[in-house]
Amino acid sequence: MGGHFGAPHFHMTWWEVLVQQTINGLTRGAVFALIALGYTMVYGIIELINFAHGDVFMLGLFISLAWFGLLGVTGTLGGWQLVTVLPLVFVLTMLTTAGLNVAIDRIAYRPLRRSPRLAPLITAIGVSFMLENVALLWKGPAPIAYPDVFPSVDILREWFGIDSAIFLTTKDVLVVVATIPLMIALTYFVRRTRWGKAMRATAQDRETAQAMGIDVERTILVTFLVGGALAGAAGLIQGMYYNIGMWWMGYQAGLRAFTAAVLGGIGSMGGAALGGLVIGFLSAWSDQYISARWTNAIVFSILIIVLVFRPHGLLGERTPDKA
Amino acid sequence: MNSRLGAAVLAVVLVAYPFVDQAVGLHTVHAVSDGMIYMLLALGLNIVVGYAGLLDLGYAAFFAIGAYAMGLLNSPVLGSPLYGHAWSFWLCIWVAAAVSALLGLVIGAPTLRVRGDYLAIITLGFGEIIPVAIRNLGDVTIEIGGWRPIERLNLTGGENGVNPVGRPYLPGVPFETDPVPWYFLILIIGAASVWAMTRLRDSRLGRAWMAIREDETAADCTGVNPVSTKLLAFALGASFSGFAGSVYAAKLQAITPGAFEFQVSIMLLCMVVLGGAGSIRGVVLGAMLITVFDRVILSQTTFLVRGIGRTLGVPALVSLDLTLWRWFFFGLGLVLVMLLRPQGLAGRRVQPLAGADVDEAAALDAAPPRVEAIPRWLREQIATGPVAQADALLDVRGLTKAFGGVVALNAVDLVVPRGGIIGLIGPNGAGKTTFFNVVTGLIRPDAGRLTFAGASLVGLRPNAIVARGIARTFQSIRLFQYMTVLDNVLVGEHCRLEARVAGAVLRPPRVRAEEARARERARSLLTFVGLSGKEDELARNLPYGDQRRLEIARALATEPRLLLLDEPTAGMNPRESHTLTDLIGLLRRELSLSILLIEHDMQVVMRISDRITVLDYGTRIAEGTPTEIQRHPRVIEAYLGTGAPQEPVVPGV
Repeated sequence: MGGHFGAPHFHMTWWEVLVQQTINGLTRGAVFALIALGYTMVYGIIELINFAHGDVFMLGLFISLAWFGLLGVTGTLGGWQLVTVLPLVFVLTMLTTAGLNVAIDRIAYRPLRRSPRLAPLITAIGVSFMLENVALLWKGPAPIAYPDVFPSVDILREWFGIDSAIFLTTKDVLVVVATIPLMIALTYFVRRTRWGKAMRATAQDRETAQAMGIDVERTILVTFLVGGALAGAAGLIQGMYYNIGMWWMGYQAGLRAFTAAVLGGIGSMGGAALGGLVIGFLSAWSDQYISARWTNAIVFSILIIVLVFRPHGLLGERTPDKA
Repeated sequence: MNSRLGAAVLAVVLVAYPFVDQAVGLHTVHAVSDGMIYMLLALGLNIVVGYAGLLDLGYAAFFAIGAYAMGLLNSPVLGSPLYGHAWSFWLCIWVAAAVSALLGLVIGAPTLRVRGDYLAIITLGFGEIIPVAIRNLGDVTIEIGGWRPIERLNLTGGENGVNPVGRPYLPGVPFETDPVPWYFLILIIGAASVWAMTRLRDSRLGRAWMAIREDETAADCTGVNPVSTKLLAFALGASFSGFAGSVYAAKLQAITPGAFEFQVSIMLLCMVVLGGAGSIRGVVLGAMLITVFDRVILSQTTFLVRGIGRTLGVPALVSLDLTLWRWFFFGLGLVLVMLLRPQGLAGRRVQPLAGADVDEAAALDAAPPRVEAIPRWLREQIATGPVAQADALLDVRGLTKAFGGVVALNAVDLVVPRGGIIGLIGPNGAGKTTFFNVVTGLIRPDAGRLTFAGASLVGLRPNAIVARGIARTFQSIRLFQYMTVLDNVLVGEHCRLEARVAGAVLRPPRVRAEEARARERARSLLTFVGLSGKEDELARNLPYGDQRRLEIARALATEPRLLLLDEPTAGMNPRESHTLTDLIGLLRRELSLSILLIEHDMQVVMRISDRITVLDYGTRIAEGTPTEIQRHPRVIEAYLGTGAPQEPVVPGV
């Protein structure tokens, strides 16, 4: 996921480079956070690392592309289209990926609820491979160009007349502006609604929740629904921001987002958001100050170190295994 | 006789195959040799995943390390001063295996504490880091403020890999031109590996792996050290892939980092899961099926479909290329196998669980225990002659443990004299099982002294406490479900046996004798608890009462001096419960075994206990003989609440 966009210019000063990479990190982190939420919610509720989740994100990108195509959008959206077509595509994409995520759970995970923990993890890996190949056969092996649907304006220069080497565009703003309402809606959903309460109860103790009359299977379904919708939104945002999509991007992004979820404390929503941002910043800075080719190794080292030394992450709660 | 004939036929086929191939002109020897390398890898992975139950998603990394160890040490081209001396192939394969095993230990040591699915992700991360590192270490420049201590150093060959890699040298054997010597080299390594793995599986170490896989806590409390056992599985699994990688590198004469990506790990996992994790035969079968599918069926079916498309005139079929779908099919295979046949093609078929109701016929079979049936060896190992009752074997003082704000144990004192039976009773949630968990090392106490036979137990791991002579059973039975009854008891003997890797594989007379004696002892124990004739059944298929008795046999196999029984008669009918009570009495009388007993059945407790300790809300509220306890006002209050009649109402004898 190299940011060809807003790559630092050679004549930047050191602090301009830092600001630029921090903007890059923020936009990356927002996308990681949306994907990480799906990992953390599913793990919180059925203790499964939903390995296929990154690929749902990747398919979200291609599905949103298909929706734009169906709606006849091929170029940059203008004025009124931004408030009609774009929200519509958001909704359609999120519904599609939510349905896909639920279907995956029904087919590949649900029959294994009572199996040893590693069994659904193995099927999740299988599903991940299948989804990647569906995308490969659908779109071919080469990277796919994503139309420049969202208008890109160099904010500092064109709106404020500041001649700076720092490149801040309306797209950067879009990523943040699209992510924040989703996060707020999710927080409201989990904290304030019946389903959110059922989810939190099921995550704490499935059997007791069942005994209290909560339909556990239904709650799991809602969890997959919400996680899939967020992954779809992330795919759409990713596509509009980077204007490119690859069939293999789900694996990479998924692992980084999972790292974010673990870093924040798996099962914790706030942790997933925080972890996403941290991984976004770290990967952007690592690209700049170490070398992009080492970034993956650095992200995975963080993952390993957190899992070994602080498995409950930054915000997660310590849950001792019962003897 | 039949299996021997089969083995002979197999050997003849394997030896004759390359010559037949050459005579007929099939030219498949190279492909088959490559397939055998992957089979060897899958077998190594099976040790980790199938035996020890640790999901390793980065196994290809060890394959890469083996290959690069060979490539770097045995290639003349890499201009690094460190290597490039083209060591002998025969030396390199051992170095490669050793380096892989060492890395297995390095990776394993910090990570094995984490939970199963986290471990899987860590291995995956490791599997990602290794190819990245190999790619990037081909061109290392370190720049610190204009000073470049290291400039463009090529450590690994980078993206281009290492080429050429030296081939093995044996006088008169044409490794350069002929695929047949390769075939036999790989066949010999493969056969030796299968031989070694089979022996490991059937040894004390193999049983320990499987026990960890089935139930890590129960294994720990049966004397198996989970950390060293898992590390051993990791290191051995890695060493086999080190062999495979080094041979692979020399055979291809070139290696690139692309050959060791995540997909390779998943293909190997497919082989293990499809055939049946934990079964050598299954993994061989799985590896063969997947290799044939990948190399033959996909391409041949593509030809076939294209032919059909041409005759029917369907352009979509003509341009179809099924080989593009290979990873899709591997993914689908993983899903289907887990859903439809999780034990794999060759895995042991598991009977549906027997009903929770006690099997009446089995209950009738359970004969009362007999003095003569006490195994002689057990008598000799445990009995230390007549000892004074007053001599404290387990001495617990002021034991305290709190979970958050809840005080589960509050300054509890308890003494178990040699040869005594002590009852531990109390309402639900009184802290009885927590007390057991502290004594057996599962939970560290916050405060208090814990002395066994004069030595402190605080800070010891559960398996070390078992080795000291304390064994336990669990309230909810925790057997190694998918192991046989005999193997369950043999795991109990683990800490009294000594065979290590070399011994388990080479089986010198000492190890043979040890293993024969262990089996003999296990059988005699099973006879003693009334389970003879059921040695080869899976533990999970036993009726409930038998499972309880098997758990006791497993505990006795550790040669304990103190036995902790957590509700041993729970769920038993009165006759079974009576038989078990007799058994406990017998153990004390004949072996002077000390017993600490949690029990809700008051008739049982009152009948066999010398003294009873009563806990309520983590505090000891009473201690005394059964008669004293039955009259104790605080006990009556704890059980029935205040305002209860002042007569002895605790049901008693």
